[in-house]
Amino acid sequence: MVAYTILSGLLFGLYFSLMAIGLNLIFGVMRMVNLAHGDFIMLGAFAAFFAYTLWNMNPLVTMLVVFFLFIILGGALYYLVVPRLLRAHDPEMLSLILFFGLSQIIQALAVIAFGNNQRSIDYTALGSGTVYLFGQGFEESWVVVASVSLLAIILVSIYLYVTKLGVATRAVMSHREEAASAGISVHRVSAYAMGIGLALAAIAGVFSPFMIGSIDPTMGTDLTTTSFAIIIIGSLGNPIGTIVGGMIYGLSLMYMESYQPSWSSLVPYLLLFIILLLKPSGLLGRRMRNA
Amino acid sequence: MRNKLKAGSVLLVTLLLFAVGTHIYSNENMWFQGMVYLALAQGINILYGFTGYLPFGYVGFFGTGAYAASLYMTDFHTQPIVAILGGGATALIVGLLLSPLLRLSGAYFSIGSLAASQMIYYTVSNPALQAVTNGPYGMNLEAFYNPTASYAVMLVILALTLFTTAYLRYSRTGLALRATREDAVSAAMAGIPVVRMRIMAWLLSALIAGLVGGTFAWHISVFYPNTVFDLNVSIFAIVFTLFGGGASLLGPIIGMFVLYGLYNWIGISAPQYFQLIYGVLIVMLVLFLPNGIMSLFRKKGYDVP
Amino acid sequence: MTIRFSTRSRRIATALTLSASLSMVGMSALPAAAVKTPNQLVIGTLYASSGSFATSSISSYDGLKFWAATVDRQGGVYVKALHKKVKIVIKAYNDQSSATTAATLYNQLITMDKVNVLVSDFGSVLTSVAVPIAQEHHQLLFDVTGTGASFFTKSNPYLVLTSLPTSAIWPNSLADYLVKQKTKRVAVLYDTNDFDQSQYNTLVSRLKAAHITPVYTGGVPTSTTNYAIIDHAIAASNPQAVVEFGYPNNDIAFLQSLNANGVHFPKVFTIFPGQQLQLMQQNVGVSGLANTLTYPTPPLLQYNRVNFGMPLSAFEKQFPSVEHHPVDFLTVAGYNAGLIIQKTLETSPTLTQLGMRHAVNSFSGTLNTIDGQFKIDSTGAQIGERLPVGQLIKRGNGLAVKFLQH
Repeated sequence: MVAYTILSGLLFGLYFSLMAIGLNLIFGVMRMVNLAHGDFIMLGAFAAFFAYTLWNMNPLVTMLVVFFLFIILGGALYYLVVPRLLRAHDPEMLSLILFFGLSQIIQALAVIAFGNNQRSIDYTALGSGTVYLFGQGFEESWVVVASVSLLAIILVSIYLYVTKLGVATRAVMSHREEAASAGISVHRVSAYAMGIGLALAAIAGVFSPFMIGSIDPTMGTDLTTTSFAIIIIGSLGNPIGTIVGGMIYGLSLMYMESYQPSWSSLVPYLLLFIILLLKPSGLLGRRMRNA
Repeated sequence: MRNKLKAGSVLLVTLLLFAVGTHIYSNENMWFQGMVYLALAQGINILYGFTGYLPFGYVGFFGTGAYAASLYMTDFHTQPIVAILGGGATALIVGLLLSPLLRLSGAYFSIGSLAASQMIYYTVSNPALQAVTNGPYGMNLEAFYNPTASYAVMLVILALTLFTTAYLRYSRTGLALRATREDAVSAAMAGIPVVRMRIMAWLLSALIAGLVGGTFAWHISVFYPNTVFDLNVSIFAIVFTLFGGGASLLGPIIGMFVLYGLYNWIGISAPQYFQLIYGVLIVMLVLFLPNGIMSLFRKKGYDVP
Repeated sequence: MTIRFSTRSRRIATALTLSASLSMVGMSALPAAAVKTPNQLVIGTLYASSGSFATSSISSYDGLKFWAATVDRQGGVYVKALHKKVKIVIKAYNDQSSATTAATLYNQLITMDKVNVLVSDFGSVLTSVAVPIAQEHHQLLFDVTGTGASFFTKSNPYLVLTSLPTSAIWPNSLADYLVKQKTKRVAVLYDTNDFDQSQYNTLVSRLKAAHITPVYTGGVPTSTTNYAIIDHAIAASNPQAVVEFGYPNNDIAFLQSLNANGVHFPKVFTIFPGQQLQLMQQNVGVSGLANTLTYPTPPLLQYNRVNFGMPLSAFEKQFPSVEHHPVDFLTVAGYNAGLIIQKTLETSPTLTQLGMRHAVNSFSGTLNTIDGQFKIDSTGAQIGERLPVGQLIKRGNGLAVKFLQH
């Protein structure tokens, strides 16, 4: 039981990291709080559902399609709203409201388009076997999703630390003004960050029917708060810290569900709160704290 | 003097409207919730408008006040008004316990306070505490139900809240608070006790939310935990404040009347597209009126209360 | 200069406040006058187009609409107080699953629209706020599915539950069944909300009275979507029967997790396959539901002695073509609420709210509808129905029910 709890906590931890990393990227680059994050996860989930039920498309293929679609969507969204918002008095706080409004719009349109009923994808779509890890049997789909999540996080790290655009992205994250004066096109970097951020959320959505359960148009709200907890536990504005956050969240959630299920929903918030008070910048963060 | 007159007339007109409103439009609950949201918006205004801290988990104090007041009524059989004061005091104590949150800034603070409110919610609604809070079954104040009296009490609380904001708008204390928002370091150097002032604003807004929550509980009289810890309560109050414009008395008032009015108007005339229209409206407001309606007047040179 | 500015700004401020408030006041212009004309009766209700109760709420709302469309096709309902047939108009607002919004909208229906008959939205949460408001305004509330036991008191005559018994007595038949089967090792998992926890409490106390102590009990948040870990914890207690009390989402997630991770329990009980079989089947699949236990309700359960309204066969034929929505229990419940209202109007010599309440008392116990016997006690709670226990059996490509305990 203990081994099973720990291992499933790690598998889910990887998935949770993927779920939250896009939110962190967007906040890190733009200082925008994307309250519609969970709704993009929901859109990814419905994409997977329809691709599977209509064309029997493997979720792994859907993932690739969705990734490119949402990069374009994110870039467009960036140019549509963010430059305008940046001219306001307090863009960071206003972004909360703006994305709340966007979240309402997405949910309303999703209800009109998809209806209110829960939908599920046949769990065998990602493999029906059992995978044994350290003597414990796990659903094959969990292992597939955890592996893909790990791969995606590695690719994001390579992007941020190796590619030219990624290095520029990190420069904007740490010193926005200096980066701009050094000739980095902040808008271009930010538009990419927005696109990649939403695309990562959407591919997390593609796998959500296998990890989180049945999907519906309003599932996003809870996922947004969970993602927030994860990135703050790791560290806000540091995408790599998200992995730490995801792992801690996954492990503690599974532990509570095994031994104290009624308190399990308290876990993310309790962790978030304790970490904020002890180390306001998150476990891996630097500075960002008031006078 | 002139300032006092201006603020006084805004205050009077607003309160008068709520006092006679139910005779014009008899959906008394709509007016009551209008007062609830206005008082909460002013509570947010006191904290955000004057210090720059945006508490996303503001509903935590509201729910605390609602539960505390209800428990004082059902378990200790206190008068509803005493129970509401108790609810306010309880929220104040919770605010004091949570005051370390003020060490955080920006989005960290907003999300930290959100986490705090969720923690209170999940604790209060947990079946393990059923003997104390009635757990998931919520509260039933049927024996105390009195919509007329609770309406009157809410009006008094709203009056006090508006008066407090008006005072902060024109007093030296309010000026000092705003100085900490613009530039905390210079304010501290100018001799303003930055930390103490911030905590004061935080506690004041917690107290307001607690009192409002207690009165709301009395008015609605039957509620489940997720009714009084609904995050939409925070979001509504914040949106109303930002739409009107912070650090003013009139801003949140206008924000509440226009947006809550529209909310109800859409809800009653086009219920099927309700969420969509409201979402589009919010996005448009942020994009085209990012600094609130008050900024339009200030740009023209009017000094709004 | 300053004087002019300040007076002007004050005037503007006042004007703005007033004009803004007009958007609230202006709503009185909406059609409420319809009530006065004796050629139609207005039934006011709420539905949730989004949020956690949307699926169920829409079903029950469609059921009510279907009833209204059916009677209107026949020229309306015979209203005894008016000695003639009158058409039915439904006035409905969208509360989006928020109890706070619902409170305002119930108030709107009562105070502004002055509806003749008030019907609550689905479930206990959205019904709860209507109970005190209806009582305060002396408006009879027809409660479709709000089964929270605390609503029903002797001091409040303005409440009638039209279908389902209060949730706390649902598990009686289940407890009887488990005791009769001599099931010694029972695991009970429930969601921490009023609806599920009250059932858990009843079941456990009835089992304990029969000297059965559950080998596992656990309360999980209603938001739980992944039961894999919990399944393993339950399996560790080695139960003969697992009872899961949840909302539809929870039952789906729970049954899916059993399917996917290969944990097998000899007997599994969930609530909602008996109420929303089609939704459950779409998500869990026939094989995931086969052999599980549930409380079957119409359309799975057919009442034969129908003396008022359509029998099940006619309803199943007509409803989908009118409302473009599959038949499930909540559509039946919404339709049944309409029937109770119809009988009330046919019986009551006055249209006053208390007069209607007396009329409901007068026919309580004599009415048999598609949803079984309608019988209320003195608090307005439903006591005519008792939920049996049934087992879903695979038949062809679909599922049929085998009754185990009445």
